[in-house]
Amino acid sequence: MTAVISTEGLTKHYGTVEALIDLDLDVFAGEVFGFLGPNGAGKTTTIRTILDEIRPTAGRASILGMDTHRHSVEIRRHIGYVPGDLAMYPNLTGKDTVTFFANLRGGVDWSFVDELAERLEADLSKKVGDLSSGNRQKVGLIQAFMNRPEVLIMDEPSSGLDPLMQREFQSMVREMTAEGRTVFLSSHTLSEVQRVADRVGIIRRGLLVAVETVADLRSKGLRRIEFEFATPVESGVFEQVEGVRDMEVTDHRVVLTFDGTIDALLTTIAGRYDVVDIVTHEADLEEVFLTYYRDEEGPA
Amino acid sequence: MAVAGMLLFGMLVYRDIDLSFYTDLPEGFRALMNIAEDADSAGLAYGAIYSSYGTLTLASLALSMGAASIAGEERKGTFGLLLGNPVSRTGVLLSKAGSMVVLVGAGSAILILGGWVVPAILDVGIGNMHVGALVLHMFVVSVFFGSLATMLGAWTGSRGMASGVTAVVMVLSFIAVGLFPLVDGWEWVSEFFPWHYYDASQPIRNGVDWGHLGVLAASSAVLVASAVVGVNRRDLKERGVAVTLLDRLRANPRTRKIMEKIAGSARVSRVAAKTASDHQTLTISVGYVMLLMSVVIGPFYLLIDDLIRDFSSQFPEAVLAMVGYADMGTAEGWYQTEIFSLTVPIAFLVATGVIGSRSLAGEEAERTIGLLLANPIRRRTVVIEKSVAMMGIATLVGLLTFVGTVLGSLMGGLGMSVVNVAATCVLAVLVAMVFGMLSLLISAASGRARLASYGMAGAALALYVLNAFLPLNDRLAGFARWSPFYYYLTSDPLNNGMHWGHAGVLAALALGLLAISVVLFDRRDLRQTG
Repeated sequence: MTAVISTEGLTKHYGTVEALIDLDLDVFAGEVFGFLGPNGAGKTTTIRTILDEIRPTAGRASILGMDTHRHSVEIRRHIGYVPGDLAMYPNLTGKDTVTFFANLRGGVDWSFVDELAERLEADLSKKVGDLSSGNRQKVGLIQAFMNRPEVLIMDEPSSGLDPLMQREFQSMVREMTAEGRTVFLSSHTLSEVQRVADRVGIIRRGLLVAVETVADLRSKGLRRIEFEFATPVESGVFEQVEGVRDMEVTDHRVVLTFDGTIDALLTTIAGRYDVVDIVTHEADLEEVFLTYYRDEEGPA
Repeated sequence: MAVAGMLLFGMLVYRDIDLSFYTDLPEGFRALMNIAEDADSAGLAYGAIYSSYGTLTLASLALSMGAASIAGEERKGTFGLLLGNPVSRTGVLLSKAGSMVVLVGAGSAILILGGWVVPAILDVGIGNMHVGALVLHMFVVSVFFGSLATMLGAWTGSRGMASGVTAVVMVLSFIAVGLFPLVDGWEWVSEFFPWHYYDASQPIRNGVDWGHLGVLAASSAVLVASAVVGVNRRDLKERGVAVTLLDRLRANPRTRKIMEKIAGSARVSRVAAKTASDHQTLTISVGYVMLLMSVVIGPFYLLIDDLIRDFSSQFPEAVLAMVGYADMGTAEGWYQTEIFSLTVPIAFLVATGVIGSRSLAGEEAERTIGLLLANPIRRRTVVIEKSVAMMGIATLVGLLTFVGTVLGSLMGGLGMSVVNVAATCVLAVLVAMVFGMLSLLISAASGRARLASYGMAGAALALYVLNAFLPLNDRLAGFARWSPFYYYLTSDPLNNGMHWGHAGVLAALALGLLAISVVLFDRRDLRQTG
């Protein structure tokens, strides 16, 4: 497969702070790559480096086979970008903003802009500074999608959008990849990435901890189980069971994440406590992330 | 600190020269120029450095703090957060006003210290000069302008309006108080301007005038009281978006169609057009003030006292130029004194300096630079487009000054050469471009708008003083060539027309600074926040 975005040993230091450490990453054509990590993990630094906003301390990056520094202008003809904590020109209307960026790109298909505005229910007649953060985000998404970019790079793109708009945004992302385009999406909202991403990279303290497909993460078989008992229970009983990861015991109630065999768990309970209710469901990425990567240590 | 440093420099220059040409001036003329009969180097330095540049600087700082106090918090969207705590609007406003007074007081204390230390270092006797009284007057008039800006900000919530209107009042006041006493029978008009109560009593010679200070202090108290009423009466703005003249025309059904083309598509057609449009309020304000003043000054020439005109014409041009006056016996000298020597550099440098400092570093502070550069546009193109916008605005302001001066000359029947006026305006635009490019360079190198503004203003002030004072001293006169201002008026373009060599030096300087800006901006990491 062809790597559309590729980094080799990409490193960025701010003085003594190591914001990004030796990042090797390939994002392939036609996929949605979710870049996950807590706040301050290095997601935005990665994006700003590959967009040539900041220069790496070491290593290199390429987009569509072109070096991100030497060919930065050419690369930008083929990308769309939504920065994190999006800021735009407050004195311009949404229409002016889109026109400005369209002019810098040498024109745009306005019927497609209108289509995007309609889908996102964006009001382009108001000044950006008078819009709520969610409505401002819609203008940001329109300007990123409007030139039908080959690569779409977005930093926390759905922040501020209401659930309906988030769903619409996810549809737009899926349509992009269906056309063979590539999406690089950073987020700390794992449920969002879970819905749209094909693969996930997890970054923590500047280090890439893991790259896995969403399917692989799910196949780890992690489940979340909630028990309701007739009488108060002791936590020690459950801690002995192999596969119990996280556990919360409050009086009659136990909530745990579990990747062992259900039979072992039920055998332990049987005869000790009366079970009133059991709820079990597949763990989401949030829980997978917290369970498997919470304790990964990077440099301080 | 910078003003105190310049005092050292000014006194150093004056110390080594023969001052008899000042003391030989007729009494009326000396009084007009604020020169004591027993003038010595200390008195001249205090008069030239502290009473004009120093006060304008201190008052500008107060103005800036006053405008930022309420309106600035609203613009940043932090006022609501502040009021989420158990503090009243009145409490916030009074705290801010108090901080302004304390900081201006701290600046004044440094000036007093400098005013005492500098003559001691240079062994210059200050005799019975009242340095403390002068600085006290400076402090009180600065607080007045700070209070005016606070009041306007509190009533309107518009920082730009508060600082713009106060700056216009300050500059007009400064000029009017210099102008009206020259006109026989019109001297009383200057009493309507606050600057009168700062220096009409000549505190450096006569000590504190408590009556005048009382007028300023009472006015300041009234302004702050009015600010308290204003901030409590109105709805607070959210993180603000200013409504500009273009916006209003765009919203008007009669002008919508044409304005959609001008204000809509044209202004976002390229980076330069958008940058120029972003500074439309600044351009309109500066352009309007320059047009108005340069028109009005013409007919005024007919009204000034013949005595002053006659005396003025008797002195060597160089001597008068040293103290900021040209030969007022001629219309050209009159225009140079009242418009081109100080007002034009200040106004033009404000225009180009603001664009230079805000256009790159401002994009970084507002976090829009990333989005802009995500488009297929080179960093160097952005720098060049920003400088094109700067050039456009400087040219427009220069054009309005040219038109105003020609109209003023026609109205006063002064018969000034249109070509020479044009040449002077071109040189003014070029010197403003040099300093605009300097602020662009600092902005491009650092990404810090405030550093760019203050750095450029400090350099301009120092180089202006350098050019004004070094020629007084034969040994140091040659060094004036190191100041860009030397290439602005030294050739006396209002009388002699364009000095192409000087224009070439200024153009080359501006282009050189632009080239360095391009390289520096191209090389560094962009800042994510301001």
